[in-house]
Amino acid sequence: MLDSVTGNLERYMDLLSARQKIVASNIANADTPGFRTKDLDFQSEFASALSGSQTQASEVAGLPVKNDGNNVSLDREARLLAENALRFNLASSLIKEQFRMVKDAIQEGKS
Amino acid sequence: MSLFSALSVSASGMAAQRTRAELLVQNIANSATTRTAEGGPYRRKDVIFSSEHVSSAFASELDAQLNGSSTGVKVSGISVDNSEPERRYMPGHPDADADGYVAMPRVNPAEDMVDLMGASRSYQANVSAMSAVKDMIQHSIDLLK
Repeated sequence: MLDSVTGNLERYMDLLSARQKIVASNIANADTPGFRTKDLDFQSEFASALSGSQTQASEVAGLPVKNDGNNVSLDREARLLAENALRFNLASSLIKEQFRMVKDAIQEGKS
Repeated sequence: MSLFSALSVSASGMAAQRTRAELLVQNIANSATTRTAEGGPYRRKDVIFSSEHVSSAFASELDAQLNGSSTGVKVSGISVDNSEPERRYMPGHPDADADGYVAMPRVNPAEDMVDLMGASRSYQANVSAMSAVKDMIQHSIDLLK
């Protein structure tokens, strides 16, 4: 029971932290000329992360490009930043709950 | 762990924006300076940003090979404005030439103030990113409690 759900949650958190790293680098480069916004395709990455392959970041299409060739939208990055952090917190609460259940089972067995 | 290198990325952004703010403040402070060590009036300076790969202090070579290093930002250079200084008619000025004109720095304080606001906001964005990542790390640590 612990393996299947917790294993998936762990990969989910790994993927969220990889995405958060990409968002942080987009924000850091918000004023770098020629820098293009990067992101990962969450759905397909999660499916492939379950089979254990590496994440791949790609450029985001359809964002307006500024005069200096940079297309970082701080609004978009701020939204993703908050969303990733919330998802991560949710996943960590769920894992914590799984641990608590196992711990309860161990402790109930003791008495 | 990749989250720690996200902190390095945000830190590189903060350092770069701070350098930018420092130069802008220097431009504003020297907007009427007519004497410099290089001779002539002050020349405005600007940062040049470029993206670079950073790794966290503890990131192993293996981790960098597996996950690829993350893209931070660095100040790759400082550009000095080499355009002709503005000539202003101030006959009483000690640095006035024979015709009474003084070479003044070509600095527009309004432009620099607006740019300074941009630098400050970008710095804040990096701080927010860092604090979000820090919360995620804290939540991971809380799993052990």
